Amino acid sequence: MKNQLRGLRAGKAWSQSDLAEALGVSRQTINAIETEKYDPSLPLAFAIAKLFKQPIEQIFEAPGRK
Amino acid sequence: MENPNVFEHYVPHSGQYSLQKDLRLNAWLAVTVIVYLIVLFMSKGHPNWSPGLRAFHLLLPVLPALLYIRAWVRVVRGMDELQRGIQLAAFLFAALGTVVISMIISTLNTAGLDLGVMLRSGLGIGGTFLVMFPLWLVGTAIAQCRYQ
Repeated sequence: MKNQLRGLRAGKAWSQSDLAEALGVSRQTINAIETEKYDPSLPLAFAIAKLFKQPIEQIFEAPGRK
Repeated sequence: MENPNVFEHYVPHSGQYSLQKDLRLNAWLAVTVIVYLIVLFMSKGHPNWSPGLRAFHLLLPVLPALLYIRAWVRVVRGMDELQRGIQLAAFLFAALGTVVISMIISTLNTAGLDLGVMLRSGLGIGGTFLVMFPLWLVGTAIAQCRYQ
């Protein structure tokens, strides 16, 4: 799933480890989401949206939808 | 927020190895093996025990084994969602691989091929773990590669 996570993280000058710690997940999970190899669960996606204070659909783009 | 468990916490020289986490998990495996060896050693010295006492004695290693399983449940609960997915895939790979290997050995035995004393009656308890453990390691490596 396409997402804006890398850009949002860079905007806050956070490392992947910083973001992982803030969300309570491993750094590998953050890397896998950023490289679009892993789609987060709904609770994790909501936690990311809450952390960056953005609507979930602005961070994650559902595949095949406009 | 506490760091979630990852496979590397339990692999020496992985860069993220945690002796504390490793001991919290695998100490129960060591206890199980030690109790099993003591039970085996003692059962040979007391052939006249009643069947009930003998069964109780032989099943003693199950207690630390149950505590080892509980330690594993805690490790998995402490993982994040990606690590749980990786471990689920690795466990399925190991379990199904062991079933396939066990079926192959059983079929070859039935067909009359001599596979040696160790495999004459199938994989057995020890053989099952000897096959399953490396398959779990391979399964974990394969599943982790998908998310690198």
